[in-house]
Amino acid sequence: MSCLEVQNYLPKFFFKNSQKEFFISNTNSGQSVLATTITFPVFSFLEIIPRNLFSFSGTNNGQSGPDPRFKMILWSIIAGTRGGINRAKILNLIKDTPMNANKIATVLNLDHKTIVHHVKILSKNELVVKAEKDYAAKYRLTQIMKENQSVLEEIMQKIEKK
Amino acid sequence: MVDFMLAAVVSAFLNIGLLLVTIGTYVQNMRVIRSYYTSGLVLVASLLMIQNIVIVLFWFTLYMNDKALMMSADMVAHYLFAINVIQTIGLSILVWITRR
Repeated sequence: MSCLEVQNYLPKFFFKNSQKEFFISNTNSGQSVLATTITFPVFSFLEIIPRNLFSFSGTNNGQSGPDPRFKMILWSIIAGTRGGINRAKILNLIKDTPMNANKIATVLNLDHKTIVHHVKILSKNELVVKAEKDYAAKYRLTQIMKENQSVLEEIMQKIEKK
Repeated sequence: MVDFMLAAVVSAFLNIGLLLVTIGTYVQNMRVIRSYYTSGLVLVASLLMIQNIVIVLFWFTLYMNDKALMMSADMVAHYLFAINVIQTIGLSILVWITRR
């Protein structure tokens, strides 16, 4: 990116002193002469920060897609808490077929109590909801979770890579 | 009289403990999910950890060895104490959210 191009991005005051004409006194004749016009190098953060830094995977370059606020919440619940990986697995498991806690525990080979705890946290954060009001009710994804399933898929891809 | 400097250092030790718990959880998650988010969490927690280690080191070396510095540091120790206690409260909430 040239200096002129950068000028279009940044406010005018940034360039107030970037170009200067200056005089150098000629030591032999004692006269001052116009030396040159210099351009100070412009440091632009736009160039050093990778564009994909603000989307965690780099797949979504600020284009329309999942809600960034929801993305943040899902990332925090999965990547920022103990047992978050299991929470992601639960969400991934019930995304197509609603299951009850017992079934989830069997499929994921985890303790029933653990699953009940995870599902409680997930439902408190409105990611899953009971499909019916029975004792052994099946859990399914909430509407907002369904709308932003791409975020979950993105996270699951990263988990499966390992 | 309350020794605010000592209280601040105790608080800094508490912060280090809380941060160890958080970093432990974050690192466990980072081993499975490698992303900007998980690495960012570890980085932020580590920087906070360095901050608290610096406070403890300051108290242990500079503060203990220099009488003049000790006197002037004691004059502002309640501020340091307030900063650290607020951080302890914040980190306790973070640990509670992280470990539940």
